[in-house]
Amino acid sequence: MLTRRQFLANSMLGAATLLIWPKLTFAATGSDTRFLFVLLRGGLDGLESVPPYGDPGYQAIRGALALSPSADKPAHKLDNVFALHPSFDHAAQLYAQGQFMPVVAAAPPYWGRSHFQAQDCVENGTAKPDGAQTGWLNRCIACMPGVDGLACAAVMPLTMRGNARVETWSPPLPNEVNPILLQRLQPLYAADARLAAPFARAVVQQSGASVPETETGLAAMQKGMPGRKRQGGLPVMMGAAGKFMGEADGPRVAFVEDDGWDTHANEAAIVTRKIAELDAGLKAFHDSIGARWDHTVVIVATEFGRTAHINGTGGTDHGTGGSMFLAGGALRGGRVAGKWPGIGSGELYQDRDVHATTDFRSVFKGVLAVHLGVPVSLLESRVFPGSAAAEPLDGLVAATRSVA
Amino acid sequence: MQTSSNDLTVAVNRFGLGAKPGELASVHDPRAWLNAQIAHGSDDGNAFAGLPGSLDYLRDEARLVATRRVFKQGDRGRRAYMFGAVPPATGNGQANAAELKRALEPYRREERKDLLAEAAARYRVATVTDTPFVERLVHFWSNHFAVSVDKRPARLFAAPMEREAIRPHVAGRFADMLLAVETHPAMLLYLDNVRSVGPDSRLGRRIAMRLARKGDRDKGSAGGLNENLGREAMELHTVGVDGGYTQADVTEFSRALTGWSIPFPRDFANDRQPDSAFAFRANAHEPGARRVMGRTFPEEGFEQGKAILEFLARQPATAKHLSLKLAQHFVSDDPPRSLVDRLVKSYLQHDTDLAAVYRTLIASPEAWEPDARKFRTPQDFVIAALRAGQIELDDNPQPALALLANLGEPVFDPRSPAGFTDDSANWVDPDALWKRVQAAEALSARVAQGDPPLAWARDVLGPRLDDDTAQAIRRAESTRQAHATLFACPAFQWRA
Repeated sequence: MLTRRQFLANSMLGAATLLIWPKLTFAATGSDTRFLFVLLRGGLDGLESVPPYGDPGYQAIRGALALSPSADKPAHKLDNVFALHPSFDHAAQLYAQGQFMPVVAAAPPYWGRSHFQAQDCVENGTAKPDGAQTGWLNRCIACMPGVDGLACAAVMPLTMRGNARVETWSPPLPNEVNPILLQRLQPLYAADARLAAPFARAVVQQSGASVPETETGLAAMQKGMPGRKRQGGLPVMMGAAGKFMGEADGPRVAFVEDDGWDTHANEAAIVTRKIAELDAGLKAFHDSIGARWDHTVVIVATEFGRTAHINGTGGTDHGTGGSMFLAGGALRGGRVAGKWPGIGSGELYQDRDVHATTDFRSVFKGVLAVHLGVPVSLLESRVFPGSAAAEPLDGLVAATRSVA
Repeated sequence: MQTSSNDLTVAVNRFGLGAKPGELASVHDPRAWLNAQIAHGSDDGNAFAGLPGSLDYLRDEARLVATRRVFKQGDRGRRAYMFGAVPPATGNGQANAAELKRALEPYRREERKDLLAEAAARYRVATVTDTPFVERLVHFWSNHFAVSVDKRPARLFAAPMEREAIRPHVAGRFADMLLAVETHPAMLLYLDNVRSVGPDSRLGRRIAMRLARKGDRDKGSAGGLNENLGREAMELHTVGVDGGYTQADVTEFSRALTGWSIPFPRDFANDRQPDSAFAFRANAHEPGARRVMGRTFPEEGFEQGKAILEFLARQPATAKHLSLKLAQHFVSDDPPRSLVDRLVKSYLQHDTDLAAVYRTLIASPEAWEPDARKFRTPQDFVIAALRAGQIELDDNPQPALALLANLGEPVFDPRSPAGFTDDSANWVDPDALWKRVQAAEALSARVAQGDPPLAWARDVLGPRLDDDTAQAIRRAESTRQAHATLFACPAFQWRA
């Protein structure tokens, strides 16, 4: 078993693949598939991540931001219309193996262009920002008896809030707790109605952690700098998710989030860097989940696409239809999903955004029903109430195989 | 009126930043103590003296840009010398990457020093201030108008914006604070307004003509409308997302804001140096009247956008949005409707005067309910510990900054213009509590006050120190462990 300290040592070397899942057991159910949801906050541009280079309107509308397989920095050609952004190296390899699939012109049922309302809808699984106080993925877990979830985040995201048991995980502080201090605190927390339960869980989770011998908390603290990157980033967080999920009794359902996708200015450079992070995250997850990759589906989504036209500052503003990505060994990929609405004159939504032709919930339902075995009746009534019009997409996932 | 022990701890912990030693004993009338702080205003006398202003930071950046240009373009960048660029060793634009890095190093070093000095001043003031209620309000508004330093062009300006735009107006009119913020380089850079150009402005037409000549090839590289600031100023800063505006209102408001910008590096190469960190670029301003939320604003250059901001600040929807956020911050995640309504009324009756709203809040019984407690966010927790332990940061705030980052609330880095969440449900979970215990141990190593631990715990927790916690502190195996116990105990996690 690996220790937290080994995890830190490795993460400092950039190979953040080693850690323990702190003393939690996840009940195994009949089927043993895995599902990861990745939320990119800020609004990833669909026309930049999955350039429709074969659409006659594309070059004209995108000008300097246009990408294509024949450019100096070639995009990865998928078919005669679509390519993948040049930073998607690993994803392009997966695509060739049928294990990656973009969905074009997709959006949540909310089309209002506010980051925060759109994210609320993506997370609560309804068409309204206040449509539910819990997250669809938590409600999905609640429909799977004996299954727990994992959110790789310092703060519980709405997607995972609700009655089902979900743990959060984020890279640990580099100092350990004096066990005697812990003993003294336990009865004090037991008497605090609001904090008793989470504190008790913290103690149980952490009790297997080993104590580092050298670096003190203070020494590690000295390294802090203002404005430094928050811990994690997609490669670390997705690598950690894969490690946890790869265990035989690991979590079957997990969540990872990232931000920094809101490209109002200087979009080309930002998207190049951010998609490289996402691609490295996919690779870290693929590597760390090991053989269970074959029984895994990943969905990557963002709250909206962006304007079709470039704005005055080399970027794009809040839009509607965007791209979504699916990956995993259980996926029937190697193709581009979604109906392309076109971006020529008269084809844009409100004369500015890519139209949305696929409701996110159709994709979610298509994956959850087949891959996690959640009955469609429960998907309609509990997980995505009021989504009957968004029919589950068929054929996204290979038929469930039994797992040894 | 008899001062109840509850009122005392509510004033010091929920309104203030957590007790420093001696503070609880010094407060005789909690409400008068808070009202006097409002009259006193922000504590900015000597605390921030000597820090550069935004204009200085813009000039420093102009020098950096110029130095880089001299290296990359040789003689073409000659003009850069006029404002102090370091000449390259080889002189003719052939310098290699290592030389460039060396030449830029003094600027980078200066920048790191400035960022640390800004943070040190902010947390030193929070640690020692005698007007902690005002300081909390400064942090509240700073987070309301969040600027996230992960956007590199904005990174130098988030802290100065708090000093220059928030502090002077923290107990003044909201409309004035709003204008100060939306004209500050931090917000203009963060929400991409500095290069937003009206399509029919002089500059916009020139760009369009150039593009037409070049056959549209560089479309998007320069010149055009950016609606980021216009949208967030409505959605987050004023009327709120349900404030009754449409996409057309966002676009119209954004047009009115075209030309709201900052001095560019080239402006510092002129003989006439910029004298303000805000620049209105008339040639980028979209001409014509604008219609926003049913009201028409005639074309008056800069005054047009200013008038729209004033209009937005006075909207009942803005009063509601701000009142709800204040009530959530000071009372509970789900505050009583009666309280919010009272704050709204006060705001609208007093021409957006925040001092009047604060006085109404202080006079409201709902704000003093013992059950209405708020879980300390990581920043509340770290500041409360710094105050209780009188932990001196000197000129090195890095340990505190690293802790805040690890606890999930890195300084000026919320990664979103919505700021950090103020909802307890988002901050309480096992992982967060565990990190708090770890942070308590780290902080305990730096406690500077020398009282015996139990007396100190009584001093800072007052009536919130229950018997069991007192016993745990008494039994600690060392002074340091006693300090850690106090910081880590459940009573210390609440603003109550």
